[in-house]
Amino acid sequence: MKLEALPWIILFLPLLSAAVITLFTLRCRTLSSLISIGAIVAGFILTVCFIGANGFHPAVTETATSWLSIDTLHVDFGLKLDALSLMMMLIVTGVGGAIHIYSFGYMHEDRSMARFFAFLSLFTFSMLGIVLANNFLQMFIFWELVGVSSYLLIGFWFEKPSAGDAAKKAFITNRLGDFGFLFGILMVWGVLGTLNFGEISAQFLTNPVALGGCATLAGLLIFCGTLGKSAQFPLHVWLADAMEGPTPVSALIHAATMVAAGVYMLCRTFVLFNAEALHVISYVGGFTALLAALIAVQQNDIKRILAYSTLSQLGYMVMAVGLTGPTPAMFHLTTHAFFKALLFLGAGSVIHALHEEQDIWKMGALKQKMPITFYTFLFGTLALCGVPIFSGFYSKDSILGLALEQKNFLLFGVAVFVAALTTFYMFRLFFVAFVGNPRTEKAKHAHESPAVMSFPLIALAVLAVAGGFIGVVNVYNSQFKPNAESLSIIQQILEPIHAPVGLACGLGAVVVGFLAAFSLYKNAATDPLPAKLGPLATAMKNRFYFDEIYEATFIRAHDAIAWVAWFVDRWILEGVVIGGVRGGTDIFGRGLRLLQSGNLQWYAFMFVTGVAVVLYWVLVFGK
Amino acid sequence: MNASLITLELCVIALGTALLLADFWVPAERKKYLAYAAIAALTGLLVISFSGQGVCSLGGSAFHGSFVNDALAVFFKRLFLTAAILVLFVVLQFSSRVPGAISEYYSLVLFALAGMLFAASANDFPMLFVSIELITITFYVLTSFQRSKIASLEAGVKYLILGALSSSFMIFGIALIWGTTGKLNFNDLAAVAPQFATSKLFVLGVLLVLSGLGFKIAAFPFQIWAPDVYQGAPTPTTAFLAIGSKAAGFVLLLRFLFTAVPCLTTHWSSLLIIISCITILYGNLCALPQRNLKRLLAYSSISHAGYLLLGVAALNTAGIAAILYYFAGYLFTVLAAFTVIAIVFKNLESEEISGLAGLSQRSPFLAASMTFAMVSLAGIPPLAGFFGKFLLLKAVIAQGAATHDHGYYWLAAITLVGVVISMYYYFGVVRAIYWSRETADLTPIELDGPAKVSLALCVAGIFWLGLFPNTILDLANEAAKSLGV
Repeated sequence: MKLEALPWIILFLPLLSAAVITLFTLRCRTLSSLISIGAIVAGFILTVCFIGANGFHPAVTETATSWLSIDTLHVDFGLKLDALSLMMMLIVTGVGGAIHIYSFGYMHEDRSMARFFAFLSLFTFSMLGIVLANNFLQMFIFWELVGVSSYLLIGFWFEKPSAGDAAKKAFITNRLGDFGFLFGILMVWGVLGTLNFGEISAQFLTNPVALGGCATLAGLLIFCGTLGKSAQFPLHVWLADAMEGPTPVSALIHAATMVAAGVYMLCRTFVLFNAEALHVISYVGGFTALLAALIAVQQNDIKRILAYSTLSQLGYMVMAVGLTGPTPAMFHLTTHAFFKALLFLGAGSVIHALHEEQDIWKMGALKQKMPITFYTFLFGTLALCGVPIFSGFYSKDSILGLALEQKNFLLFGVAVFVAALTTFYMFRLFFVAFVGNPRTEKAKHAHESPAVMSFPLIALAVLAVAGGFIGVVNVYNSQFKPNAESLSIIQQILEPIHAPVGLACGLGAVVVGFLAAFSLYKNAATDPLPAKLGPLATAMKNRFYFDEIYEATFIRAHDAIAWVAWFVDRWILEGVVIGGVRGGTDIFGRGLRLLQSGNLQWYAFMFVTGVAVVLYWVLVFGK
Repeated sequence: MNASLITLELCVIALGTALLLADFWVPAERKKYLAYAAIAALTGLLVISFSGQGVCSLGGSAFHGSFVNDALAVFFKRLFLTAAILVLFVVLQFSSRVPGAISEYYSLVLFALAGMLFAASANDFPMLFVSIELITITFYVLTSFQRSKIASLEAGVKYLILGALSSSFMIFGIALIWGTTGKLNFNDLAAVAPQFATSKLFVLGVLLVLSGLGFKIAAFPFQIWAPDVYQGAPTPTTAFLAIGSKAAGFVLLLRFLFTAVPCLTTHWSSLLIIISCITILYGNLCALPQRNLKRLLAYSSISHAGYLLLGVAALNTAGIAAILYYFAGYLFTVLAAFTVIAIVFKNLESEEISGLAGLSQRSPFLAASMTFAMVSLAGIPPLAGFFGKFLLLKAVIAQGAATHDHGYYWLAAITLVGVVISMYYYFGVVRAIYWSRETADLTPIELDGPAKVSLALCVAGIFWLGLFPNTILDLANEAAKSLGV
């Protein structure tokens, strides 16, 4: 393998950047941001160099140093270098780099810009750590580090109570999932005796039922990690609130990369999952896709619409993994990273231009004032909806095709319905926010964002358009289906024709969704849907009351348990036990003090008594 | 006959006499140079003892076996010399309170030191008794040295009467032993003791001697004198009592128990365990409500006698080595505390803990020294006190594992309980230094050169023993082996 040191450099550059900014340059805003941008852009260039030298399949797929060794537990700190991880590195450093550059413009007014970039670098390091990890323990540690950096970035504007709450909610909800994940890891280690991905795969190669009776349970426990990180039902509640963070954070972490880590982890450990576990996974994914799409239909905050759309698309990916299709899942993950980052950055551009206005009903007519944002956002929307030629079309079509291939018509129906909903809510957003008349003064005086923000938009727009046929699918196929032949660009463009039913249904869904949105929202001044749907619209708007239900059940129950624990700690442990022991000791000490009267005769008497007691003990009692 | 073995003792006595004589010619304002001279001379003797040359390196016995100079004796002699040097530094700080008579104080410290040096080598009953009396009678004077202060006189009288009582018990015990066995030398006694193990008179004699030694180390039930004497005595005397007198008691106890009557000692593990447990609990519990710093340290010193008895109760070489190591750490710790007390309470009537309020602002160095001393006494790593307690507990638990005697585990448990209780009052002192809300006198305290030197030595010793225990531990192990347990 050539340039063996490069992956290590790529991994540790962002950490170095975070350390340098935190320790030395926290007062220099521009220098700090340049350090951080430099680290990730250098990472991208070095990744390209590494792939250029070694291809997507290096001769040696692991480079590791022994990290800890306790009894039979041996853990390496190592890097896994195969098509899956190298492609993810490209996404993390590439899309991440674009977002870093964009942030330079977006955060320019913020006085804590240096801190922001330190956190971004820490996040990049953690995310690369997940991608490159060659064993479960290392992945788990970076998994948690990603959680921490996400917490720091969501709560970046910590002076806002809502940001602090959202950060806590995200972190705690993730911890719930990670708890299961950790149990799953322990179970895998207990049964297989190793944490290394390569060794686990090797064991499954010789013995497909290596996990024995624990297979389903272990698979589902590991899937808990995905539930949290990729915000799948029932742990989906944190992602929409995470939009309290700065918009580039939403783009990078809560759309393009971190939330995809759950899907990436499923694909990385795909061999572990048996049919039962995959069945559950596919239905959880399908349900999340449907649920989130329905909620997105009635949201008015531009970032929240995109957040629920992300949830919905993550549901697609999880569903694809559950349908035994890691290739379509990773394909969709990749294209989604392109267009969703683009959409968030576009939304950020709008929010920036309208002075932190996020309500789509207070926007309108942005085409003339913000042409670059307008067109790039349109491309992102088309890609997300799955309009032919755009990247999302290919990846979504491959998932529809997969569902048909597996003969799971229920999930196929759900996927098609969600595709229609997606087109509907995205064009609702588009018509309301970008077309029609300006609804507020702010919208009238909007202006295009600076070049440092437009450039990443254009770059991502190119990828959002072309990402479907530039060979991404070949890379993933080479990982998961070594026999599949490599497709040329023309073949990739024409690939959906091989599954005409899926293609037709997908296109039909897009057309239906678009026509519905067009008829309802073209030049609409208010939302006509609540009147038509009645209570259903209210339920959608209120996110089906999940937060309220959790509040009333889990959080209440938790508070009650916490109160009991507090009561026991405060009154029984601290009051009775500790207080009793302390008070008893104190009183005993005071009592003994009375022996020490100061009277010399008494002292002499005590001394002689002491001698007498010892003599009695030894000479009489001791016999 | 090898009389040159007592050269060290003779030097110290000569030094003390010389100081007394020099007092005639030295004017009052230059008296402190006498102390410097004594410190320099003792330091010279200490250096010689470590150099491998001269008296301390000579092994063997003298005066028909009544005086031995083995590794144990040498270890304790070095300990006593170091203690005396540091005590003389405390006396320097104290000198303003006994004007006119300070050179006698220096001499008395040296005579007490001579007694301790003899005690370290005592190997028969006459030597044991004479060295104890030399120490104790000197201490009667040292205790009541502040003649103008009623508390000092009261302490002296109490110590005199109770000390005489204990001495009379001890001499009675010696008489009984001699009467039954006809032996006075420890080695001779050890040879015949097994025949007399069932003789009640003999055992009674041994127990009475032990009572006398128990009085010296202030172990329960012979501890009753300690609080009043510690509180009333001048601070340097208290410091020397706490370390020197106690260590002398311990070296005699070790020799008596393990050289003279090992056949009885091995059967008395439960007696030793119980005495150790009660001493620890008594000292720590009584210290809890104390408001007077010296009285608090008196009770603390009782509890430390209890900890040290762990090493005796363990009945093994590791336990004895642990005692020696513990004394080395205790030396620096206690002297740091008393040096601070001597300086801070120079102009105050009594040594109330509240007098430490604001010390962190008056003199951060004194505050830090006192804190280190308290933390080390409480036995918190990485200071000397922790490692000493660790070694003692280790020895006791090892013995428990070897003999399957559950008493040892109880002893270890009680020790831990005692340590936990002790944290409360030790940290009470630290709290008074740093967090006291009482409005206190905040005038800065100026430290003179000797005070800085001695405190720096003590603090360095506390850290050195805690962090790099090997040097002293090797010496202690070697010394412990010479008892041949």
